[in-house]
Amino acid sequence: MNADFFSTISRRSALKGVSSGFGYLAFAALADEQARAAAAGPLAPKAPHFPASAKRVIFLSMRGAASHVDTFDYKPQLAKDDGKAGKYGSTRGAMLMKSPWEFRQHGQGGLWISDLFPELAKHADDLCLLRSMHTDQPNHPQATLQMHTGSFQFVRPSLGAWSLYGLGTDNASLPGFLTINPFGSAQNYGSSFLPAIYQGSKIASRSALGRFGRGGGSDQGMKVPNIQSSHLSRDQQRAYLDYVQSLNRHSLEQKVHQPGIEGVIESYELAFRMQDELPKQIDIEGESEATQALYGIGDGPSDNFGKQCLLARRLAEAGVRFIEITHSSSWDHHRNLRNDMERNASEVDKPIAGLLADLKQRDMLKDTLVIWAGEFGRTPHGQGGDGRDHNNKGYTTWMAGGGVKGGFSYGATDEHGYEAVENKMHIHDWHATILHLMGLDHEKLTYNYAGRDFRLTDVHGSVAREIIA
Amino acid sequence: MAETFGAVSCYIVGMHRVPTFITIALVLALQLSALARDITSEQLAFFESKIRPILADACYECHSNEGGRVKGGLALDSRDAMLLGGDSGEVIVPGDAEDSLLWVAINYEDADYEMPPKQKLPDHVIADFKKWIEMGAPDPRESEKIHIKTEIDIEEGKKFWSFQKPKKVAPGAVSQASWPKGEIDRYILSSLDREAMAPNADAGPDIMVRRLFFDLIGLPPTPDQARQFHQQWAESPDAAMAYWVDQLLASEQYGERWGRYWLDVARYAESTGKETNVTYPHAWRYRDYVIDSFNEDKPYDRFLSEQIAGDLLPIKSDEDWQENLIATGFLAIGSKGLNQDNGRQFQMDVIDDQIDTVSQSVLGLTVSCARCHDHKFDPIPTTDYYALAGIFLSTETFFGTVTAAQNKRPSDLLELPLNDPFGDGISVSELTAKKDKLAETVQEIRELRLDRDSFQGNEGARLAQRVLRLRSQVKLIEADINSYNDDGSRRSFAMGVQELDSPVDAAVLFRGEVDKPAQTVPRGFVQVLHHEETPEIASSANGRRELAQWLTSEENPLTARVMANRIWLHLFGEGLVRTPDNFGTTGELPSHPELLDHLALRLIEHDWSIKSMIREVMLSRTYRMSSDYDADYFEKDPENRYLWRANQRRLDAESIRDTMLAASGQLDLERPRGSKVAEFGNARVGIRVNESSIDLPFEYRSVYLPIVRDNLPESLALFDFAEPDVVRGTRESTNVPAQALYLMNSKFLADQSKAMAWRVINGGKTNEQRTRLAFQLTYGRKPTQAELQSTITFFKTFHPLAMAEGQSHREAMFTTVSAFCQGLFSAAEFRFLY
Repeated sequence: MNADFFSTISRRSALKGVSSGFGYLAFAALADEQARAAAAGPLAPKAPHFPASAKRVIFLSMRGAASHVDTFDYKPQLAKDDGKAGKYGSTRGAMLMKSPWEFRQHGQGGLWISDLFPELAKHADDLCLLRSMHTDQPNHPQATLQMHTGSFQFVRPSLGAWSLYGLGTDNASLPGFLTINPFGSAQNYGSSFLPAIYQGSKIASRSALGRFGRGGGSDQGMKVPNIQSSHLSRDQQRAYLDYVQSLNRHSLEQKVHQPGIEGVIESYELAFRMQDELPKQIDIEGESEATQALYGIGDGPSDNFGKQCLLARRLAEAGVRFIEITHSSSWDHHRNLRNDMERNASEVDKPIAGLLADLKQRDMLKDTLVIWAGEFGRTPHGQGGDGRDHNNKGYTTWMAGGGVKGGFSYGATDEHGYEAVENKMHIHDWHATILHLMGLDHEKLTYNYAGRDFRLTDVHGSVAREIIA
Repeated sequence: MAETFGAVSCYIVGMHRVPTFITIALVLALQLSALARDITSEQLAFFESKIRPILADACYECHSNEGGRVKGGLALDSRDAMLLGGDSGEVIVPGDAEDSLLWVAINYEDADYEMPPKQKLPDHVIADFKKWIEMGAPDPRESEKIHIKTEIDIEEGKKFWSFQKPKKVAPGAVSQASWPKGEIDRYILSSLDREAMAPNADAGPDIMVRRLFFDLIGLPPTPDQARQFHQQWAESPDAAMAYWVDQLLASEQYGERWGRYWLDVARYAESTGKETNVTYPHAWRYRDYVIDSFNEDKPYDRFLSEQIAGDLLPIKSDEDWQENLIATGFLAIGSKGLNQDNGRQFQMDVIDDQIDTVSQSVLGLTVSCARCHDHKFDPIPTTDYYALAGIFLSTETFFGTVTAAQNKRPSDLLELPLNDPFGDGISVSELTAKKDKLAETVQEIRELRLDRDSFQGNEGARLAQRVLRLRSQVKLIEADINSYNDDGSRRSFAMGVQELDSPVDAAVLFRGEVDKPAQTVPRGFVQVLHHEETPEIASSANGRRELAQWLTSEENPLTARVMANRIWLHLFGEGLVRTPDNFGTTGELPSHPELLDHLALRLIEHDWSIKSMIREVMLSRTYRMSSDYDADYFEKDPENRYLWRANQRRLDAESIRDTMLAASGQLDLERPRGSKVAEFGNARVGIRVNESSIDLPFEYRSVYLPIVRDNLPESLALFDFAEPDVVRGTRESTNVPAQALYLMNSKFLADQSKAMAWRVINGGKTNEQRTRLAFQLTYGRKPTQAELQSTITFFKTFHPLAMAEGQSHREAMFTTVSAFCQGLFSAAEFRFLY
C-alpha cells in the first residue's frame, strides 16, 4: 500500500453488530407486534401470544390442485350417480364421474381414504381432514396466491413470512422460512411490506432439482449454488463483508426509510452464517439407509419428493420456523386423470407417510404442524371422460401433528363433493387456525404499514377450534 | 406471476376485481343429423355385429375419447370423431375404401400406418370394413351436437373505461405555475394539488445522471460522460437532460435496453420449454430484429404489423421480405409441449399461446381466458376467442424441431431470401458422406423390417426398438442435410409463420376440449373493441393482416394506451396502470386516467414513435423529482400513486451484470453473432445443452446471453429475470440470501473484481485517487469522507490477512483492491436507483 493513503486519513474502526433492527423505528407509530420484533432483532425467537401446540410448520404444497373426490373426500352418492347429468353452474352438460379409486376406512378413527394413498392411510389416526375448504378464485395463479397470502388481488406477505415475523426463528444461521422447489410467483413466499428478512428463501429449484426438467425422477442430491467463496478465506470474507456493511450503513444514514437497504444488510449476515449451516443440513447422505428407505428415497417415483420430505424434517429439526415443499408434478388433471393421478400419488405417498413416521419416532410430530394442500379442488363431474375441472367451492386439505386431532374429519361438502356445506372453512379461517396452532392470534398479529394495521386474515377468519386436540 | 397448468388452464392477472355484469349460458341442443336417420336396419345390424365390436376390441385402447387416449389425434368412438379424422387428416372417405386411410392402415399397405400395430386383422374382418366403407360408413353412434351461446352484453361491456377511446382532457389548474415544464407535469401537479401534496424537489446531478443512463441504455455513465453531464447541468439542467436524452436515444445500447423490455413481453426464449425441452437455434434472429427495430425507432404500429403479419405485408425488396419474415418469429417462439400425442390438441395449444401473447402484449387483455367458456370477468365471449383462433388456424407456424423419442411435433423452418447463414459450410464431399449415411440408415431399416415377421417375442421387440431408433436418426440426418445447400454452404433459416392456402374458420370448442366441437364462427376480432375502422376479413384472406390493421388503428382504444403505459412503467418503476398486461376489469384502474390518455394520443400523433414518447416523458419535471422520503406523504400515499416522489428502483438483472462488466472494463459492446444456443443446432436441453455448456463467462451484454427455458443464466435468474413462459410486462424485485451468496462467493464476481482491481490500480497514482475512481465507476459519484474512512479501515484490515496467507506485499495489495472492488459491487447502492 502507498503510505500516503494511510497517513492522510486517520483510521476508524468498522462498526460492528449490524443486524439489530435499526430503521424499523424510524417512522409511524408502531403496533406492539412491530415493537417486539424491532426490540429483539428481527429473527430472534419471540414468545407466542399464548402457548403454542405447533412450534413449526411443514407445508406440503400440491400445486395444480388435487382432486378431493378421488383422495380424501369420500362421496358414495357420486359413485351411485356416475354418468348422470351434473347440475352445476357454468359446466352444465357435464356428467358426474365417480372416482376410479376405491375408498376404505382406516385406523381407529375410521377415516375414509382412497386407494391412491396406501402408505399414508396407515397414518390415518394422525390426520385431520378438513373437508369443507373453499376459496375465492378458480384460477391457479390467484388461488395459489390467496392460499399463501390471503389475498389474490393485492401484494401481501405470505403465511410463512407472517409466522416468522410473529415468532422469529430458533436457528439464526438458516433462513427462518425456506421454500423448496417453489412454483409460480415469488409473491407466494414474499414478505411484501414486512421487512425483507421475513421473505422465504428458495432452495434447490435451480440446482439439483428440476433445473433441466420437471416431474419425478431422481436427482443428484441438493446443492446450494455459491455456498462457498471461490476466492476468499473466511477471515478475508468477513473483512470484505464488514466493509460492505459499512457502506450500507452509510447509505442508511444518508437516507431515511430504506427498507431495501435494511433487507440487503440482513441478507448478507444471514448468507454469511448459512455458509456453514446450510450444507450440513441439506446433506441427507448422512441419514441411515433405513431412514432414507422410510421416505421412499432410491425407490423410483418417490425418490425426488422423498428427498424433499427428508430435507424438510432435517430443517425442522434444525429450528427453521416454516418450511414449504412443492411437489414437482402438477395435480392439474384436466386430462389423463386415471394415469397421472396414480403417478402423482405414487410420487408422494411413501415420502409423506415416511415424514409422519419419522417425525413421530423423533417425538417431533406433537409440535410440528404438517399441512397438505392444493390451491383448490376439482369438480365431481368429469372433463373429457378422464379428467376433472377446477373447483374452488369445496375441497379438502389436511393437517397432522402440531396439536390437531388425529383420525378426525372436519366439515363436509354436499353429496357429490361440489360445494362445502357444513362447517365451511374459508382460506381465511384456515390461516387463522394455522396461526392459532402456532400460538398466534390472527387478530393481534398485525403490522403497521402506511397508517394501517394489516393482518394475514384482513378483516376475516375464525379459528376452527373443533380440530384442536 | 403466470403459471401454466396444462392446456385448458386459464390465466388472469387479478389485482383489482370489479363486480361482473356477465352471465353465462351454454345451450346444448340435441340434434339428430340427417345421416343418422338414414341408416337402414340392415346397415345398423351390419355395423353392430361386424364393425363396432372390432373397433372396441382392436382400436379403442389407443383411439377413444372415452378411454382417454387419442393417439395421432384420432378417436374412433363416435361418428363425428371418426369422420373428423386425426393428425394425418380424414381416415374415412365414405363410399371409397381405397381412398380411406383407415383401409390403408388395416391392410398394412403403408409402413407408417399399420393398424392395429400388434397384429393385422383377419382377412374377413378387413373385407367387412371395406364393405362398410363402400356402403357409406353408416354409423349410429350419435354424439351431442353442441351449440354454444353467450349472454355477454357487449354494448354494456363497452362502458368500461379501457374499452372507450382515449379522450383529450386538459389538465386542471395548478398551484405552482413555475413547476411544470409541459403537459405531463400539469397532469401530475393538478392531481397532487387535489390531494394537498406537493411534488418533491428536483434530484441532483449525481442521481439524475445515473437515472438517465440506466433508464435509456441500462449502463452507467463512464467517468468522462458523468463529468461532462455535471458541467452541462451546472449551466442548465434542462439543456443537460435534453442533450443526453438525444445522445443516448441515438446510441446502439438504447435498443439493447428497450428491446429487452419487449422481449419480456414477447416471452422470447431459445427453446420449447415444457417436458421435452428442445432448442430453437434460430430464435436469435427475432431478438436482433427487435433490438434493431427499437434502434431505428420503427413506428410502433409498423413494428406490431410486422410481427403479426409480416409475411403478408407488401414489400419492395428482399431485405424487407427478410425482415418481415423474421418479425413473425413473435408468433413462433412460444413454449411448446412437443410430447403431445394429439396433434389437434397441440395445434390448439400453439394457437392459445399466440392469442394469449398477442392479446396481452398489444391490448392488455387476457383473451385466452375465454378458451373454455366466456371470459369470467371481461366482456369477451368464448366465440370471440374462436373467431381469433380461426385466424391462427389458417396460419402455419414454423418453429423447427425434428421428430425424436419425446418429440412428436416436428416443424419446418422458413428459408430466408438473403444468404445470411449462422455457422460455416462444409465441403461437397462431407455433404455426400452425410447423404450416404442417410441412404445406409434407410436401407438398414428396410432390411430389418423385412426380417421382422420371422422374429417373435423379445427378439422381435428388440428389433422394433432398433427400427424406432434408426427412424429418429434418419430424421436428424435429414434435417442436418437440409441445413446445407448442394454446394455445402449453409442455408439461412428463421422461425415464423405463413398463411394456409385456403383459410378456415374455427369451431368453438366446448370447454376448450378439442373433441367437442360446437358451431363454427367466422374469423374476426374481439367484439367489445370493434371500432369504426374494423376491417372485414375476406373469405380468401387468413385474417392476420386485418388483425394487425385492427390492432394498430387509431380507433383501437387499447393499443396506444397499453404501450404508453409500458413506456411510463420503465421510466418510473410503476405504470399508471400497475397491471400493464391486464387492462380488463380485473386489472387496476389508472392512477392518472387523463394523463394516460394524453400519452396515448401523443404516441399516435407522433406517428407511433417510441423514442419521441420516451423523450417527452424524460424531459418532464416529474421525471426529475428526487425519491426523498417524507413521513406525512408516506403515511398518506405509501405506494406513491400520486407521484409525489420518484420511486426507488432496484436495477434489473441485466443492468447489474452489465454494470459489473462495464466497471471492470471487460464489457464487450459488440453484438455477438447469433447465439451460443445456435451452435448446438436442434438439441435437447439437459443433454447437450446444459449449464456447463451454455452458462459461460461471456463478456457481451446480457441481452445476448442464451435464454433457454428452464435453464436461464444464473446471473439473470437470481435477480428476477422474467420467466419466458407468458407475457411479462413487469418483473419482480426480490431480496434473498441467494443473491448475497452470489455476490459474496461466485466466480463471476471474483473475476470482475480482479479485472476492476487492475483498472483501478492503473487508473490512479495514490490509493485515494484509486478509491475515487472505483466509486465513480460503480456509483457514479465521489466517496464521502465517511466512506473514505471505512475504505481505509478495510485496506488496513484486509491487507495483513492476505499477507498472512503467504502473499507478497504486492500480491496482497492486489487481493485487497480486488476485495474492495467486490465490496463496491456488493453494497446496496450498486443495485439501487435513487
